Amino acid sequence: MNNRLKVLRAERDWSQADLAEQLGVSRQTVNALETGRYDPSLPLAFRIARVFGHPIESIFSE
Amino acid sequence: MNQSRPRRPFGLRAYAGTMLATVVVAAIAGAGSAIFGEGSGWAAVGINAAFFTVAMAAGMTACVWWWRGIDEAAREAHKVAWWWGGSGGMAVGGVILLSVVLPDEGAALLEGLSGPDLFAAGMGAVAGCQVLGYTIAWAVWWLRHR
Repeated sequence: MNNRLKVLRAERDWSQADLAEQLGVSRQTVNALETGRYDPSLPLAFRIARVFGHPIESIFSE
Repeated sequence: MNQSRPRRPFGLRAYAGTMLATVVVAAIAGAGSAIFGEGSGWAAVGINAAFFTVAMAAGMTACVWWWRGIDEAAREAHKVAWWWGGSGGMAVGGVILLSVVLPDEGAALLEGLSGPDLFAAGMGAVAGCQVLGYTIAWAVWWLRHR
């Protein structure tokens, strides 16, 4: 699965640690998500969408 | 769905604290067993069972607390490590045990060990292999997901 996490985070000038804190996950998890090596659970995907203010389908794609 | 700001997941400090608390409880149980559970008879078995049941329950409680505090990727790493590392370690340990024990040379290695010693040694050997496999699989998961 592909995602736009890195782009969205860069647009807001957030560090991985900043995003991790808002999502309630570790910085390592944010890194794994951004590199596409870990697909989030549905609850975490919803949290990500809420933090960025975008619908899930605009952040994640197959 | 909960809209409040999520709390920070547990890190190395919580893990170290959980492990330390578990070791302390295990040491207390071990000391209690050594002091009060010596001797023979069912009373000794009961006393030892009571000490170790309390210790295991405390350890499991600590694990539940820690598991609820880590994030989902950390949980996923442990699930993969438990399945692949634990199963793989058990398979490797089984091969080693059978290779050593079945030939005549194995009997010489185990000479002098009592029944309980043999039981504990076998269990310890397989559990040790499982822990080693678990650790390797856990590390590989995180290396692959960096």
